Amino acid sequence: MTRSTAPHINTASTPEPQHRRLREGLTVVGANMDFSSVRVLNDVSITFKPGEVHTLMGENGAGKSTLAKILSGVYTATSGDFSLDGAAITLGSPRVALRHGIYLVPQEPALMPHLSVAENVFLGAILTRGRLIKHIDWKTMRKRAAEVLAIVGLDIDPDAAAGLLTIAQQQLLECARALVHRADVIFFDEPTSPLTDTEVARLFVVIRDLRTQGCALGFISHRTDEVLDISDRITVLRDGRVVDSVDRSEANEQRLILAMLGHSLTPAKQIEQSRTEGGPVLSVRNLNSSGWFKDISLDVHPGEVVGLAGLVGSGRTELAETIVGQRKADSGKVTFLDKDITGLSPAKVLHRGLTYLPEDRAKHGIFADLSVQHNITASILDSLHRKFGFLNQRSERTLATEMGDQVQLKPSWLLNPIRSLSGGNQQRALFGRLLLNKPHATILDEPTRGVDAGAKADIQQMIRRLAAEGLAVLVISSELEELVQVCDRVLAIYEGRIVQELTGKQVTRVAIGHHIVGSQATHE
Amino acid sequence: MNDQLAVNHGSNVMDDSTADARPDKGNRRSKRWSDLLRLREIQLTLLIVVIFFAMTAYRPGFASQSNVEFLLLGSVVLGIVTIGQTIVIITKGIDLSVAPIMGLSAVVTGMLAQQSGLPITAAVGIALAIGIVLGAINGLLVVVGHIPPIIATLGTFGLFGGFQFLVTNGAQVSSVPGDFNSFGNGELVPWIPFQVVLLVLLTAAVTVVLRWTVFGRNVMAVGNNESSARIAGVRVRWVVFLTYVISGCLAGFAGLVYVAHVAAATAVTGTSDNYHLQSIAAALIGGTLISGGRGNVVGSVLASLFLTLTLTSMVFLGIPAIWNYGGQGLLILAALSLEGRGRASRPLGRGSR
Repeated sequence: MTRSTAPHINTASTPEPQHRRLREGLTVVGANMDFSSVRVLNDVSITFKPGEVHTLMGENGAGKSTLAKILSGVYTATSGDFSLDGAAITLGSPRVALRHGIYLVPQEPALMPHLSVAENVFLGAILTRGRLIKHIDWKTMRKRAAEVLAIVGLDIDPDAAAGLLTIAQQQLLECARALVHRADVIFFDEPTSPLTDTEVARLFVVIRDLRTQGCALGFISHRTDEVLDISDRITVLRDGRVVDSVDRSEANEQRLILAMLGHSLTPAKQIEQSRTEGGPVLSVRNLNSSGWFKDISLDVHPGEVVGLAGLVGSGRTELAETIVGQRKADSGKVTFLDKDITGLSPAKVLHRGLTYLPEDRAKHGIFADLSVQHNITASILDSLHRKFGFLNQRSERTLATEMGDQVQLKPSWLLNPIRSLSGGNQQRALFGRLLLNKPHATILDEPTRGVDAGAKADIQQMIRRLAAEGLAVLVISSELEELVQVCDRVLAIYEGRIVQELTGKQVTRVAIGHHIVGSQATHE
Repeated sequence: MNDQLAVNHGSNVMDDSTADARPDKGNRRSKRWSDLLRLREIQLTLLIVVIFFAMTAYRPGFASQSNVEFLLLGSVVLGIVTIGQTIVIITKGIDLSVAPIMGLSAVVTGMLAQQSGLPITAAVGIALAIGIVLGAINGLLVVVGHIPPIIATLGTFGLFGGFQFLVTNGAQVSSVPGDFNSFGNGELVPWIPFQVVLLVLLTAAVTVVLRWTVFGRNVMAVGNNESSARIAGVRVRWVVFLTYVISGCLAGFAGLVYVAHVAAATAVTGTSDNYHLQSIAAALIGGTLISGGRGNVVGSVLASLFLTLTLTSMVFLGIPAIWNYGGQGLLILAALSLEGRGRASRPLGRGSR
């Protein structure tokens, strides 16, 4: 076989590289990595074999992404020996790694938004034609891009701008890019965290396909169910060390979680159905936004957790952003505490007690360079000023400390920039910010996305506790299990419409899964 | 209901097994020398001292009272403009129009004083008003017109510069009354011009505003992440608008200081000396990030002094003035390349590890 993927790709117009088949795979022995004197990887040895999906598991900060980045040339290890098929190699840059056939599909795909899909696929390997004057062979590139996109199951126009793609599509495009570069060692850095269950299934088909073709696949995740589903071998990292490495046949959820956390995890417990006395706190009627959602009506009562289930791109985030005033609706009405808040600015909505936790923490949530404390208090500064806008430092400190305590952040972290915290702890801080506003209702968009297992369980428990104390909560999540765990009621949204409401015992993974893909089938 | 939400979770802070890999890096408050030396303000102060003493050793006249006063006063005008520029840059903006705002303020107040004996107190009011109005125009173009700051202020750079030509109408300011002169050149004590004290007070005030007021914190938040700030309930557009008003206001005031100091102003005052580029350079050399979110006015003012000192030194060394621009360009590049390295060595905190 050619470098694993060649059978699919007709490469008539470019010289064929040396055909080589991956034999032993990629091995690293004794890798160490220091970030400014802190050791984040400690004596890690691991092999990625052809025809095998090898998963790296671990909490955020365990070192799994760092390892993948080192193996794909993004970072340079402090020390360690690397070999490919038994021959020693050095990995100085992503370009060098790619020349060895190693490719990393990054956690957040880095596409060129204004270039076409085809150009993105062929970035770094642009096809040319002509002998005297080399010029770009658009026709072949477009045709081959379409072929490769078909292999990864992407049905999109190669001429479309890449910026229009959803995150799931961007990831599949990254896979296509790996194929074009004839990579046979491919790493996926937490590809599933932004994906819905259906999209994950589609990605797994592609990954299995690559495995059959003899690629060595490195997969990063902390979702045990999907890890057990896709992996042939699982290596667990904790605090930068390999703590366990098992074949799929010997692995089970308990063992993996124990290895990841160092202690077993108490799952969030489904609290009994909340009572919903009185009228709704938040009420949406016939809300429309062309291109995003149609005729949305919903109510959230005090003490109730309502789930909004839908695929990425179903309009769920846009709906949330419209409710909290970040987008304008075309028509319809949003009522909060019996007052019309349609079209109010985000600041006004917030100060009335309707808070929002955005989906993309880095882009819309945190102030990376500001301290944890300043991040927590960012939205209540107006209530902290004394005269002439001067801040009351002492009460700010007290409030931040108290809130940090509630959301389980160490007091010693308050003065550190928030970017030095892991995803889970950043999310705790954002919860702190949200709660400081003393909300009557809150909308949480993917509250546990990119969060380690420990923080995830804490956050889910916190959601239930807040509801028990009277908060009205609307949770948007791609994780069906999470919706089942925390919600009293789930609304399924499909192509911008609420297609089903599930209550009480109806709230099951299967039921939600059916409705969010638009399936009309009945089920118990 | 609000009280109900006071979640009582005791103080069971998360245990160490799930703790971050690098919890205590970053804002350590240690006062070790090596940390101090990495502060841009300290670096600049040391550079200024070194250059000053080296020049004095080379040309003893460099440390004369008149030259020291000239140096200090020369950096006051740039310093005031740079303070405003810094605030704008922290919010990811930029203000190219400070030069003509400064020039317009200088010619308007100067001509009124020269022709009809405008008292200095009224001149201060007029200078500030000119700056506030023109700054507000910039602010509106940016936050209401949604025009990128560099384009908006490039446009108003031309527009305000045109006003300056219209106002002067071929004439120029060549002398100012006595109260202007004492405002521009008066001394609190020998060696320390009144204007320098004013600049120090202004720097202190703006530092306090940026660090300890709601507005200052919001400026930092907007510069760090505009989208997060909007979601966190910060009135982003109002904050950005205010930064342009402040920048304009300070540029207007700097124009008055300029005309009072040199007793001259023309249709090209401000723009011909490239105060817009110099103020941007000084802000960046002072440690403000062009990408926003970080910056401080102490560094900016020190950098203004540093730039003025360097240019004066070049004159003393007999380097032709035509090298001024080149020299400044090199300084900016040097400062930015330091910045680039500073950025790269920051902890890689994004994403999971």
